[in-house]
Amino acid sequence: MEWTPAALYESGGSRLVCTLCPIRCKLADGQVGACHVRRRTGDILETRTFATTTRHFDAVERKPLYHYRPGSRTLTLAAPGCTFRCDYCINYRISQFGRDDEAPWHAEPVSPAEIVDLAATEGVSIALSYSEPSLAIELTLALATMGRERGVEVVWKSNGFLTAQALALAAPALAAVNIDMKAADEDRHRRLTGAPLAPVLTSLRTLHEHEVWVEVSTPLIPRVSASASDLARIANFIASIDPGIPWHLVRFTPAYRRSADLPSLPDSLAEGVRIGHAAGLRYVYVERALGPAGRDTRCPGCGDTVIARDLWALRQLRLRNDGVCEKCGTALEGRWS
Amino acid sequence: MTEYRFVQELPDLIGPEEYAEQPAGDLVRIRISVGDNGVELLGDAIRPEVLERILVSMGPEVIEQMLCG
Repeated sequence: MEWTPAALYESGGSRLVCTLCPIRCKLADGQVGACHVRRRTGDILETRTFATTTRHFDAVERKPLYHYRPGSRTLTLAAPGCTFRCDYCINYRISQFGRDDEAPWHAEPVSPAEIVDLAATEGVSIALSYSEPSLAIELTLALATMGRERGVEVVWKSNGFLTAQALALAAPALAAVNIDMKAADEDRHRRLTGAPLAPVLTSLRTLHEHEVWVEVSTPLIPRVSASASDLARIANFIASIDPGIPWHLVRFTPAYRRSADLPSLPDSLAEGVRIGHAAGLRYVYVERALGPAGRDTRCPGCGDTVIARDLWALRQLRLRNDGVCEKCGTALEGRWS
Repeated sequence: MTEYRFVQELPDLIGPEEYAEQPAGDLVRIRISVGDNGVELLGDAIRPEVLERILVSMGPEVIEQMLCG
């Protein structure tokens, strides 16, 4: 495990204040932050997230990103650690490093130049996913800087729990993000994640304003987000930013410390789709439970299916390169080429 | 001590059309095969921890797992 210099900190008297996430840990010399992957050493902050547990080649649809270069592939990296402690996390063996004995460090250091070279050779983008990518903001910046010269873009699957300083640094480096909005309500969000919801909402607006391509995922967690009223609040918030933001409804699977609850049923997901459209959202998706139709993109102009997807693969594309419907000429929101 | 490996892909043994028939999520499906490297169990479950308990009880050297995202 290697520690390397980190970005995003400021002096706070005898303490050093980490400004990456809204928890803003005030660290004494040698102290590790609440995330367990950043620490103070003397007058600097260090990170151990120049590392990855995986080097997976995935379809971009798996992140999920449905309106960003459909059919393209990503090289997915994941450094251990997360700013949230969600009790349903299937990825807890990576995400809960430092909090759970079953999540030991098992990542290898990475060379950004080597990763960018591999991505460029394979013609793929680089995704940081599975754990919380904002904790690897330094790696993200290095990959984006080197990738820009080689035509390699960087995308995140993130919880969106960042400070304004971190957003300002990250946004220019990112081509696309999928942000989880796990609750509509502050209390329930705190109970689930250990963190407030408001910074996540700010991140969604800010990344959209910075013209990073944004999609949103919501898992239907019982007593947290699965009720019709909660889904409506979430959908209305997304629509208030931009009704063209794709919304992915994610089937809840009992896992980790939330194993007593029941899994989401297809009817609940279908109701969520109806709620999303009623809120004005143009694109609402369900990956598996509603079959191929749940993954289709329909043109808001003529209603025709313009993108058909298999599970984690593009099946058919009836859009021009600029995202315009071949049939009726309506422009669909997204980053299409 | 079982080693956990995070792999890109594993085959599905449960289809989405089965979700509605399993409201409690109790379905577990396991395929056992024997090859040159020994016995391999491929499992799928609506509740991942149930499958994991079954696999761990057999004392495997390695469990391969897909990640979400």
